[in-house]
Amino acid sequence: MWDSLPGFGTSVLYAVLVAAAYTFAVAVAAGRGHPRLLESARRGAYATAGLVALGVLVLAYAFVTHDFRIRYVTRYSDRSMPTGYLIAALWGGQDGSLLWWSFLLSIYTTACVFWLKGKYRILQPYVIATLMVIMGFFAILMLFAANPFESNLAGAKLDGEGLNPLLQNYWMAIHPPSLYTGFVGCSVPFSFAIAALVTGRLDNEWTVAVRKWMLFAWLFLSIGNALGMAWAYEELGWGGYWAWDPVENAACLPWFGATAYVHSTMIQERRNMLKVWNVVLIAVTFLLTIFGTFLTRAGLISSVHAFAQSDIGIFFVWFMGFVAAFTIALIVWRLPQLRSRGQIEAVLSREAAFVVNNWLLLGIATFILLATIFPRISEWLWHETVTVGPPFFNRWMAPLGLGLLFLMGVGPLFGWRKTSGVSLKKAFAFPSTVAGAVLALHVTVGNRLGFPAFVQQDAFYPGLAGAILQKLGSAAPALTVLLVAFNFAVVAQEFFRGVAARRTRHSEEGVLVALGRVVDKSRRRYGGYIVHVGIGLMFLGFAGRAWEVEHEVSLSPGDQHEIAGYTITYRGPRMEVDPAKRMIFADVDVERGGRALGRLTPARFIYTKAGQPTTEVSMMRGLHDDLYLVVGMIDPQSKRATLRLHVNPLVSWVWIGVFVLIGGASISLWPEVKLREVGVWGYLRATAGAATSIMLAILLATSSARAATPIAKSPPPPPSAHAEVALPPIHAAPFGALGAGLVLGAVSFRRRDRKQPARHPS
Amino acid sequence: MDPERLASVLSAWIAPALVATAVIVGAAVGLGPALLVLAGSVLVGVVALLWTSLGRLTGDASLTIEEALGFAAPSPEEERKQSIVRALKDLEYERSVGKISDQDYHQLSARYRAEAKALLKSIDEANAPRWEQAEALLAERLKREGLASASAPSVRGRPAASKPPPAARTACAACATENDEDARFCKRCGASMGPSEGTP
Repeated sequence: MWDSLPGFGTSVLYAVLVAAAYTFAVAVAAGRGHPRLLESARRGAYATAGLVALGVLVLAYAFVTHDFRIRYVTRYSDRSMPTGYLIAALWGGQDGSLLWWSFLLSIYTTACVFWLKGKYRILQPYVIATLMVIMGFFAILMLFAANPFESNLAGAKLDGEGLNPLLQNYWMAIHPPSLYTGFVGCSVPFSFAIAALVTGRLDNEWTVAVRKWMLFAWLFLSIGNALGMAWAYEELGWGGYWAWDPVENAACLPWFGATAYVHSTMIQERRNMLKVWNVVLIAVTFLLTIFGTFLTRAGLISSVHAFAQSDIGIFFVWFMGFVAAFTIALIVWRLPQLRSRGQIEAVLSREAAFVVNNWLLLGIATFILLATIFPRISEWLWHETVTVGPPFFNRWMAPLGLGLLFLMGVGPLFGWRKTSGVSLKKAFAFPSTVAGAVLALHVTVGNRLGFPAFVQQDAFYPGLAGAILQKLGSAAPALTVLLVAFNFAVVAQEFFRGVAARRTRHSEEGVLVALGRVVDKSRRRYGGYIVHVGIGLMFLGFAGRAWEVEHEVSLSPGDQHEIAGYTITYRGPRMEVDPAKRMIFADVDVERGGRALGRLTPARFIYTKAGQPTTEVSMMRGLHDDLYLVVGMIDPQSKRATLRLHVNPLVSWVWIGVFVLIGGASISLWPEVKLREVGVWGYLRATAGAATSIMLAILLATSSARAATPIAKSPPPPPSAHAEVALPPIHAAPFGALGAGLVLGAVSFRRRDRKQPARHPS
Repeated sequence: MDPERLASVLSAWIAPALVATAVIVGAAVGLGPALLVLAGSVLVGVVALLWTSLGRLTGDASLTIEEALGFAAPSPEEERKQSIVRALKDLEYERSVGKISDQDYHQLSARYRAEAKALLKSIDEANAPRWEQAEALLAERLKREGLASASAPSVRGRPAASKPPPAARTACAACATENDEDARFCKRCGASMGPSEGTP
């Protein structure tokens, strides 16, 4: 039947390009004095999005029917792969991931155009036009450099090469889509910024329009990065979750830009200030998303994500250059209108704190960016490649991160415009006391719990800077705990003050009702505070790195080894075979304080297709620490196994922090007005965060069970010590509670919305 | 029924029907054919969208009133008014949670109120010619329709000349906050302030 499927796919891509160009032209015409054409442009945008969806469906069909005439299908799938991974292969390789990117952009375009119906009629044509330019760029990229429908030169193969085994796991199935959702999501705010610049309507109109879109993109950038961390932690098997790999760095860069924007936009709304800054932040964030894609795809820097070296880099360079030049030109042209009418009135004000926070966030982003491309810079300057490794990042990021944590804590304590000394003293009293007490507690009992406050570090550099960094690094655990405690106390105090203020006016309300009303009345503020708590928890998890223990041992069956209170006993190797791979497990029993905890089975999987064996981690998660086992080699004769054991303290708090963050962001995203005013999309957007959070919670809660017993066929461990039984409840409880809280919150918000009288009677 | 409306009604029914067909095909035959059904439907949809898009290029439908209103932009003064109102709201909140002292509050609040008053005045002045224009247009229209009478309603719903006496204030029944006399809802608690003149 489908003799010309590859050709049809390619022509769909041409159609995308033509439709995008047509829509762009009509949209610009609509903006330049032919408002009637707007409806035409809207339909053109829908049609373009539809064509991209058609392309994805054709590629999915090719995967499902094993159409090995198409090169991309041959390279990333084979006949033995389950359907789920066949679909995941859509974004598993370079060409497909570009199509996937365009597909997400088309979903955003559809949602945005639908949402814009009857709104922002001046901005709308240029928003559509900008989105079409981005769409056109990706169409050109696919057509001329990375066509997912390209056929094999030598004709159809009998079977494909199969998806990289490292990518065959559920984290990989959900990590790229959510990270891309965040990346692509930055296109909508960027389009609004361009539209505002072109039309000259640079006041609050566009920032209000962009607010929730940016928050949504920010949320998914956070989720995507967290999932990437989870994937690295579970699949790569080097014992940690963040290695400052170029692609990881590229993925987190837009997050800093977006974080800076969601703070500075509040100043523009209130003070009519920082207009240039906000436009620049949005443009920078968008450019960083394109740069991230470029870094991943173009093979500029070698990385674990090594997609094949290819010639698409130059397309990205031109596009980024074009976007940057066009944006700068627009800003310069509109500079007279962008001049702010307000100014910062006092150093001790929230505006000033936000501006400092913005500089720090952008500073961190610039630092990571420069360090990431340093190999290329050094090559260019000194003709030798100098690579900077994780230790460099870890040293420098510690003080920068602590600075951020500090600003995050003090920011909410300032009032807008200016804060008097007296009220500042009052505001600082409680958090400082709490932080001091926690620090004292940490210094005195930290050692006994295995979390000493100070961990000696070696000097990294000679000289004063090295000495300062060393001191800071050694004190980092204590400082982190201090600042996290300060942050929690600040948030608690903000909630307390809000509730107390409400109860003086509405004395009949109970504490919980008042709390609900206070949060409901200013969701952005309190959602933001909850996000701060989540970030604090994540910092606590990051600090755990200071106390990690790593042993590398070689054990014969029956041997025991002690690590950080755990006693592990190696029982022996075990081999299993399935059609795709051979699996060699090392069975290890774990005890702590004489109590059996269960059996861990780290493994090596040797795939028949891919040459290199993969490392399968086996771990026990806990709130105190994770026991993380990796098997290096197993000697078939002597059955001796080389094991790498990690005890990673507090890692679970990183994941818990992520859930709290998602919960907080979902509260902020929740529409403030009634359903019929914001439309279905507003609610959909808000629910997406909550739903993802719940789904992730379930995944992570069950994954410890899966990690402990990777396959169903493994022999049952001793019944009294089954990790599957022992572990999940620890995680399921807080996550379940969080999920239930989100759902309940959602329901109650909706109810209240219905009851409230319209606030703007006009 | 005009073709536009027919198309929208049909598309509202056709899209779910096609998705349902795809699901049924998927369950009965397999994922591959289901994807084909979906792809085919999307292609038809794209063609239809492009068809209507091109149709709109040549058509000359006039703007509806909603569409015309969509072009209205707030003036810079309006924007500043918004941010001052916002600032006053922040001030109220910050005083209630004790973030700023009463002295600062009164000082800043007085300054913002003065600024807001000046702005409102300039907005009113800027709008005055347009109000007159609107009144003239309305009068002309009424005359054309033969409805003109001595007590012609003005655009603002009340005779422009007779302004209410300034600074009359009423207290809210629920929270005792002083509100302007013509306030329909309390500025603090949102409770209704007497008859709401038929609006929700």
